[in-house]
Amino acid sequence: MALLRDFKFHSPDTLLQALALLEQADSPVLLAGGTFALNTLKKSSKYPTDVISLRKIPELNGIKTQDKELWIGPMTRIDELIGSRFIQDSFVCLKEAALKLGTTPIRNMATIGGNVASRFYWVDLPAVLIALGARLEVVSQDGGRVVGLYDYLTEKKLKKEIVSGILLPLENRGAYHFRHTCTVQEVDTPYLGLTFSFTRGKEGLLDVRAVVNTTLSFPVFLKGVSSVLQGLGYKEISLDDMRKAVCEDIKNTKLDEYRIQLLCVDMENILSLLNGKAA
Amino acid sequence: MKNITLKVNGKICELEVRDSELLIETLRERLGFLGTKYSCLEGDCGVCTVIVDGKNVLSCLMLSADCDGAEVLTIEGLGKDGEPHQLQKSFVEKGAVQCGFCTPGMILAAKALLDKNPDPTDKEIEKAIDGNLCRCTGYMKIVEAIKDASRKIKPNDQISISKR
Repeated sequence: MALLRDFKFHSPDTLLQALALLEQADSPVLLAGGTFALNTLKKSSKYPTDVISLRKIPELNGIKTQDKELWIGPMTRIDELIGSRFIQDSFVCLKEAALKLGTTPIRNMATIGGNVASRFYWVDLPAVLIALGARLEVVSQDGGRVVGLYDYLTEKKLKKEIVSGILLPLENRGAYHFRHTCTVQEVDTPYLGLTFSFTRGKEGLLDVRAVVNTTLSFPVFLKGVSSVLQGLGYKEISLDDMRKAVCEDIKNTKLDEYRIQLLCVDMENILSLLNGKAA
Repeated sequence: MKNITLKVNGKICELEVRDSELLIETLRERLGFLGTKYSCLEGDCGVCTVIVDGKNVLSCLMLSADCDGAEVLTIEGLGKDGEPHQLQKSFVEKGAVQCGFCTPGMILAAKALLDKNPDPTDKEIEKAIDGNLCRCTGYMKIVEAIKDASRKIKPNDQISISKR
């Protein structure tokens, strides 16, 4: 018996062809690395009429600098991301997060674009990318737009669009990433991820961003924590202040007690790292 | 249906496959390479591991039509002229095979590692087989076998797989 029910498979050579196919199909699914999309199809009751692979489109591949940003092609595989000199030099935190993502064969197949565009709660990279200030280039038959990653993920109305680039500002930004897993049927699954990023100014930390991958919802900005930490190095911050800010930030999230405790421990670690370095 | 060309274990195969056919189905049902196993079919267990264009990947998560033009290595293509590959010998010698179900995937993951890193540390071996589950032996003997093979494999024993 076939493992997947029938659909029509397309493998366009250009982005324009892919957009035309996307527009024409009744119920299309875009295929990047396939590790999420094909798994979903095996379990889904809502089935596509058409599957459009983006693998052969050269415009969606590569990593390059342009102006003051790094452009990452959405079809860049996770193992390519890890191996990229640009990422190793300028975005250590992203490399660390990518190294912890899935398993070796998954990293050999999955793509950064798929990780983002799947809009799946468990995926690791969106929280990291948001903390690093990522924006997405998105195209449809109506034209293109650039949108912040957080806004893209939380948009209600989904159009027939393709993510055609991921933009990361090239700035001197410090960042830490923490990730916790739990073992489900012998497989480590993501449980909580925290990315914390900042720039350093004369008066302490500036432009602080703390973003959590709860694995229960889209990434959550910890606005209170960010605001408390703004200026650290210039002002003293106690663990108590930090805990209070965390508790305030997560009031409307679905985080359970265990995840909250993990988050508080991560915050304490960040504080000691920063106090050590910011002094 | 789609017409595709795959190079499987060094042999060119012209195939007509269903649009929704997975690579594991093509390898097992059409080409008879039964060393590639069905199990979780979710990308968790690694028993369907094959090497595609030099990378160990999961054949239960790839559409055959999307692999058109690819070079695929299954466990059947590893030995030469009826002689087992050193990894296969080491797995037997070191007692790294118990029920044997995970072994083809485990060996191919090890092969992909040794092709790019001929002298890996234990940690690097553990990382390389992190996508392959074994429920019988634990992993110590498997790591030992891969380490043993890495010492015995000469550079010209490696099968080169070009990148697509």
